[in-house]
Amino acid sequence: MSDEKTIICRCEEVSLKTINDTVYQYSCSSREVKLRTRAGMGYCGGRTCRHVIDTIVADLNQKVITDDIQLSYRPPVRPITFGALGGVYHENESC
Amino acid sequence: MLNLLIIGAGPAGLKAAIAAAEQGLNVKVIDEFPKVGGRLLGQLHQEPNGEWWNGMEMGEKLHQKAIRAGVDIQCEVSVVDISQSVSGWTVYTSQGMIEARKLLLATGATETPIPIPGWTLPGVMSIGAAQVMGNVHRVKPGNTCVIIGANVLSMAIANELRLCGIKVKEIVLPAVGPISKDAGIPEKVLASLMKLTHLAPTVILRQAGKLGKFINPSFAIKYFPRRGIKLFGIPIRLKTAAVEIMGEDHVTGVQTVTISSDGKVIPGSEKVTEADFVCIAGGLAPMSELASIVGCSFKYVQELGGHVPVHNERMQTNVPNLFVAGNITGVESAKVAMAQGKVAGLAIASEWKGKRQEIELALTTAMEEVRKTRAEALIQFQPGISEARDTVYHQFTLDELRMKQEVSVS
Ligand SMILES: Cc1cc2nc3c(=O)[nH]c(=O)nc-3n(C[C@H](O)[C@H](O)[C@H](O)COP(=O)(O)OP(=O)(O)OC[C@H]3O[C@@H](n4cnc5c(N)ncnc54)[C@H](O)[C@@H]3O)c2cc1C
Repeated sequence: MSDEKTIICRCEEVSLKTINDTVYQYSCSSREVKLRTRAGMGYCGGRTCRHVIDTIVADLNQKVITDDIQLSYRPPVRPITFGALGGVYHENESC
Repeated sequence: MLNLLIIGAGPAGLKAAIAAAEQGLNVKVIDEFPKVGGRLLGQLHQEPNGEWWNGMEMGEKLHQKAIRAGVDIQCEVSVVDISQSVSGWTVYTSQGMIEARKLLLATGATETPIPIPGWTLPGVMSIGAAQVMGNVHRVKPGNTCVIIGANVLSMAIANELRLCGIKVKEIVLPAVGPISKDAGIPEKVLASLMKLTHLAPTVILRQAGKLGKFINPSFAIKYFPRRGIKLFGIPIRLKTAAVEIMGEDHVTGVQTVTISSDGKVIPGSEKVTEADFVCIAGGLAPMSELASIVGCSFKYVQELGGHVPVHNERMQTNVPNLFVAGNITGVESAKVAMAQGKVAGLAIASEWKGKRQEIELALTTAMEEVRKTRAEALIQFQPGISEARDTVYHQFTLDELRMKQEVSVS
């Protein structure tokens, strides 16, 4: 009922229902949920929803969360401009 | 090149900077927030002895002390990536690249949300965001609010919001479900509040803690009034759950239901509480993104808030020249973070100077201080922290042995 209305990943607008359905259909890990639904792959890089996705998926699969981080962190860990990424500020240039 | 770069100017980072600089190291601290102090900036609560814990003042004190010790502090710098270089570390930031021999991650903790229908509406925020708006920026997030999630943090911040002149209409639980888990079950919530409150910042919480020694929470919750109990005039309703946040383009209120001790909805009990903003208090988790990028191994420890980089009591990780301190190693109070920071600063200085005896002695005392501070902590986010910490240290020893074996085999 309300699962459709419960947004889990705000950046990519993925609902709880979509995540539930994906796990039921593919009995998959949170990493696979991410790849299939884009949950956690938006602008914020999963900073808001990653723990929630892990919790939901572990619960549906009736598994405990493992020591290994499922939803891997990838640089850049903050949204930054292409300029900064490309080294505009490198070599201690003043900005 | 810097001897030591510290990421995070919260209590852990600042204390570490002071300790290392006092030993003669050349130290820089960077932080992405415009002000120095980290989470200290928002904290304001009364201690059992009646004294107020004023985080902002403490932050300023540490800031000044760090400057006097010769630490270079730069704000509004976000670290986006880190790589290992021959001589140490290259840290990539929103303002360019910084090189350092040793690196300390003191990035604190992040809040976890509890998504419910309507939580993406403007006017819904995390409890920590409301704290920062009110206490740091001195902006009222609204006039009336409902807080979803009953835990130590939400109760402390509810009182801070009240002091800002906001009417906190009620603190309720999130509806029971796969995300809220125990946080949605009245009996479990009361049990955790009772366990944590032997030194709690408020009289009522302390009373609950005392009762907890004699009364079973599953018994006590039966007698917990439907209408809630009041803390500083704010109703805490453990038998009310939020099912939806209402509003078209902005929050107008929260739809709630009455629930039984085990979280079941009582039919026909729907009600709407009007409010112009809503806070979600879903708990805290260590902010481990940078530790993950540089290749630390992790342990999932629920009592510490989630995945923590494996480290020992000297705050050393299993990556050479990389240290951690504060909430990144597990969610605890600011005082514990400060004590851990001092340990990290001294451990780094000791490594730098070839384990000189006087630094090692100071380090032993500092480690002792962490344990003592933990035992006396006013705010404990979870029970069983000391034991949980031991499992992490044990993992460090195991990982170290395994790595040595791998080296001798290859
Ligand atoms: C909302 C909230 C409320 C809290 N309230 C209390 C309370 O009332 N009492 C209490 O004792 N404890 C409270 N705590 C616990 C709090 O985390 C500790 O008190 C303490 O502040 C932890 O210190 P720290 O130095 O580890 O991290 P923090 O104080 O969180 O400091 C970490 C700093 O690192 C910076 N940082 C993180 N990532 C990056 C990056 N990539 N680049 C640059 N800078 C970065 C952040 O901007 C931040 O300033 C609260 C925590 C939160 C999240």
